[in-house]
Amino acid sequence: MSRAKALVVLIPAALALLAGVAVASSTSVTITTPKEGQSFSKKRVPQMPIVGGVTFAAASPNTSLFYVRRDGCGTSDDNPHLSISTGTDAGSGCGSLINGIVGAGGDADAGAFVDYPSADGMPLSLDASRNITGTFDIQGFFGPAQAGVMEADVSMEALVNGEGVPIGSVTEMVVLDPTASDNLINFTITPNAALDKTDLSGIDLRLHLHGPYAFSGFVATNGLSFVNVPSYTASVNRAVLLSLDDPTFASPIPVAINSSFNGWSVVIPTPAVGKHTLYAESVQGFDTSSVVARHFSVTK
Amino acid sequence: MKSKTIRAALVGAMVAVAALFVATTRARADHDGMHHPIYMPNVNNIGNPALQPPPICCLPGSPFAPGVPVPPNMGYYGGHVQVTPKIYLVFWGWGQAGAFDHTTPGAPTYDPDGAAQRMTNFAKAMGGTDWAGVQTQYYETVNGQNVNIQNPANQFGGTWYDNTNPIHDNVSGLELAQEAQRAVAHFGVTDLNNSQFIIAQPQKYNEAGFNSGAGYCAWHDYTQPQYYPGVQAGISFTNMPYVLNSGTSCGQNSVNSGFYAGRLDGFTIVMGHEIEETVTDPGAEDVINGQNLGGWYDQSAWENGDKCAWVGYTDGITTPSTIPGGLNDITGNDGKKYPVQSLWSNDAAGGTGYCAGAGNDLPA
Repeated sequence: MSRAKALVVLIPAALALLAGVAVASSTSVTITTPKEGQSFSKKRVPQMPIVGGVTFAAASPNTSLFYVRRDGCGTSDDNPHLSISTGTDAGSGCGSLINGIVGAGGDADAGAFVDYPSADGMPLSLDASRNITGTFDIQGFFGPAQAGVMEADVSMEALVNGEGVPIGSVTEMVVLDPTASDNLINFTITPNAALDKTDLSGIDLRLHLHGPYAFSGFVATNGLSFVNVPSYTASVNRAVLLSLDDPTFASPIPVAINSSFNGWSVVIPTPAVGKHTLYAESVQGFDTSSVVARHFSVTK
Repeated sequence: MKSKTIRAALVGAMVAVAALFVATTRARADHDGMHHPIYMPNVNNIGNPALQPPPICCLPGSPFAPGVPVPPNMGYYGGHVQVTPKIYLVFWGWGQAGAFDHTTPGAPTYDPDGAAQRMTNFAKAMGGTDWAGVQTQYYETVNGQNVNIQNPANQFGGTWYDNTNPIHDNVSGLELAQEAQRAVAHFGVTDLNNSQFIIAQPQKYNEAGFNSGAGYCAWHDYTQPQYYPGVQAGISFTNMPYVLNSGTSCGQNSVNSGFYAGRLDGFTIVMGHEIEETVTDPGAEDVINGQNLGGWYDQSAWENGDKCAWVGYTDGITTPSTIPGGLNDITGNDGKKYPVQSLWSNDAAGGTGYCAGAGNDLPA
């Protein structure tokens, strides 16, 4: 490929990337009809069409990968959490004491669980049509006493409009291998269907280990423990709000967005004779555009 | 001889009465001298002597019994109560720079954890509930007539996000009282007897004693010139720190176990405790120049919230809601759930008294 051809390919790609970044971080709206300063006769135009353009970030199916982290183990900054960042984690080795009772019939449950709330990667638009999957790599559960079944209760909770809402839970069995340094707990959670396409402000992954053969060990971090959450690349909750003469949008007028999510329209009764202002803003999830205004007047 | 004997007896009786008066006055003066707010100790400091109310004149205190209801019944000490309570929430400095160290998508920057919203919702929703209804058995006596506390559905006075008067970390009780006085002016309140002001502080700017680990979650008090110089007298106010900073010791996840579902439990438990203590004892046990301004409390000076604080809560080992009088969710008048502690009811348990109102009362 010649240098010129390469530039031809690269420049649009770079522009697209830039555009993608810009679109992903915001939404915007325009009013194309009426024109600025346009005048309408209430008698001739009893119904006023209002038309505009809008941009939203593409909302495609995605999978959000969160790593289990626990920076600052053993310090006052001990901080179990989920993060989209991986890398070395000083929290690997943080112990869990379970103190099982060896033998059938015992199920030591110290009531100890660990919460891993999200520290970043939010908001997240959940795709509840697909399962949540993940792995806890537990280490240190070895030795002759720790040879048998251990139960792992894994649950996930969402923060929605300031309230905690269960996403789902599962109990997985893991057979502790007394010779293995790593025991993997692979889990699958079917998400709460009511949360499909909901914009989540946070998620929390809770792990509760118990069982007669489990004494102590720890959850390995450093990228070894993680959860995949089905999501969308951006919120699928998109809207354009229109307001007549009220910049606070106290009573927004519902508008129709086209199937390409790049235009909108509505027809309203032509307002009273006089000068008026239309205000519009677009909303995608928690993201709100700048407000645009269009002035027009109505005559008899 | 007979008259001398009678005279001597009369003089003796007068001396005895005078001695009792002096002793009582001294005891009351001591009570005055020991004035401090009425603390709500955290879970780990229920029995901390430094956080107990000043002793009532001339009566020994009851032994501390952490986490269980505390008999005996409360008595009326002659001060006013809040017959028609109005609760005013002041979110002091929540929008000020540095008030929080984090943000949450979808939540306002001045309330990233939703605590202000939760407290506001609760203040709006608690009126008319069975929980607040426990208070209707208590009364004030005016001109010989008992006037009972009412439980209207709307006990919410309003909210004020005060970002004009700067807050700072380690604010003093006097500064909180001054903010309460500003709130009186802001809301235009004229009926102080029935009004109370919750001075809620944001994550990073809290009252000095709370920050220092004194062991309490909140306290309420009543402004008097000798305790809050320069502040208008007669304001009932609550020091409401950001209790999430104290985690489980101030109620986080004490009722609801989900990480998010229970994270704000402490805000309504602690604020509810202070609100209802203020309703039944807005004068905060003050004794001024021999006049008792206190409403209802027991002989150990424990108010109706103190007597039922943290009942059943053992930091995750048991579920308090399963224990009569334990912490529990109530349903507000908006249909939503709010975790609260129960309140002491003299009428419960056939008049013996018990913690009630949280939906897990003793069987009738």
